[in-house]
Amino acid sequence: MGAGSSTVGITGCGHSIYLKKSDRTLFSFLAEAARDALASAGLTRDDIDGLAVCSFELPPDNAVTLGEQFGLSLSWAYLGTAGGAGPVASVANSIRAVESGQAKAVLCIAGDNYDVSGHYRLMDRFNKALINYGVPHGFGGANGLFAMIQRKHMETYGTTRAQLGRLAVDMRANARANPAALLHGAMSLDDYLDARVIADPLRLFDCVLPCQGAEAVVVTTLDRAPPGKGVRALAARERHNHPVGELTPLRGGWELFRDALYADAGMGPADMQFVQAYDDYPIMVAIQLEDLGFCPKGEVGRLFDANSFTWQGSLPVNTGGGQLSCGQSGAGGGMIGLVEAVRQLRHEGGERQIANVSRGLVSGYGMVGYGHGLSTSAIILERLP
Amino acid sequence: MTPAYPQPGVDLDNARFIIAWRERGRLVLQRCRGCGAMIFYPRTMCPGCWSPDLAWVEASGRGVVVSYALVHRPNHESFNGEVPIILAEIALAEGPMMIARIIANNPATIRTGLSVKLVSDVGRYPLPTFTT
Repeated sequence: MGAGSSTVGITGCGHSIYLKKSDRTLFSFLAEAARDALASAGLTRDDIDGLAVCSFELPPDNAVTLGEQFGLSLSWAYLGTAGGAGPVASVANSIRAVESGQAKAVLCIAGDNYDVSGHYRLMDRFNKALINYGVPHGFGGANGLFAMIQRKHMETYGTTRAQLGRLAVDMRANARANPAALLHGAMSLDDYLDARVIADPLRLFDCVLPCQGAEAVVVTTLDRAPPGKGVRALAARERHNHPVGELTPLRGGWELFRDALYADAGMGPADMQFVQAYDDYPIMVAIQLEDLGFCPKGEVGRLFDANSFTWQGSLPVNTGGGQLSCGQSGAGGGMIGLVEAVRQLRHEGGERQIANVSRGLVSGYGMVGYGHGLSTSAIILERLP
Repeated sequence: MTPAYPQPGVDLDNARFIIAWRERGRLVLQRCRGCGAMIFYPRTMCPGCWSPDLAWVEASGRGVVVSYALVHRPNHESFNGEVPIILAEIALAEGPMMIARIIANNPATIRTGLSVKLVSDVGRYPLPTFTT
């Protein structure tokens, strides 16, 4: 998207309940999040003429047939293709669609209905390269791939599990102030370090809990926002398949657009009052923080030693607990941070509200290919004065 | 009875690679006649220069471990009796990187930088698999 918009932004946010397992349909979770977001925006179904959806389990349906399910007449429809980086990108594209007159108000939804075995089935048919050259090795789904990335980061830069654990523990503390989180039991650093091995060096609390749920926001002209509830995008960027040809890189693509992102926003990492980072694994939050300029490459261990990441901390990260504690609702995992950011900027954070917060960064990541996530995205959001 | 390993799909782009392994226990790679690049995984054109003129060459079957995971929760039940699955990123002697399984009696002996070679039992594993 590049530079942000002064006239179009996010005017509502919502989510569905998160469940570990149920018979409910995917449509029911997407619909629940959609109704919640519309109510938050003060709009009704008839106001919506644009629809953007990100969902792994949606096929054979798509944005248009979801519109039929929901009874929407649409002038603009968008189907995300970038996995967990898709929802942030979908919002940036929706802002442009409203600016250019293709739609007046866009509903952006992301969600899925997984349980643990459902997620392994997803990874077994994720794309041709993994089907042909990963699955027959018993690769262990995303866990096997990200274990190799984490080991490489640990061996290259000296990053330790205890440093990554500081982040995981603080994110769990955030979840304990979020009634919607599926995992809100107390977790100590020892709990994190001693948990059952999933794919060494990854242990249980490095891995997300696949679940059912959905997240949604409404994008329209900011003059339609309820008073004090508008959130504008100062800048947004995306990048796919970088670095070309590397299997388990220690960078994702954010580093290519970070300078342009901050230049468009007119501010830098030190100005961000929170980061909602894509947390499929703590190591990927670490890599995002490096690539997005919160510390030099390889020095995230020291950043972790020197900071706290709770909503009251020196660098608030994933103030709702993130996917690691809320559960990963498939592609909804790429929107949970965005919705939490909007909630914080509307000062609707409840028990975990950051005081006087006015701006922050949301980062997306996903679409695992032959070795690593191919897609990255980021958006800088600011509360309307 | 343990179910069979999941098998790779075979198509016109990758058949030479799959069949060389399955029938002869050998690793073959694509070499681009346009730019000379060695390529893995098999493509329909060179991802470096987009030449569709690709030759198949037999590789040495040797490489070095770049990183690895010890997978205790595999994706498919056929692997459950063989955990931990040693999954590794391997720098092949010919240049390309490959994600492949390593067979070792003691997974604790696996290290980054370790030299590995193809296993010798033909037909057992679905894809080129390495040992120390």
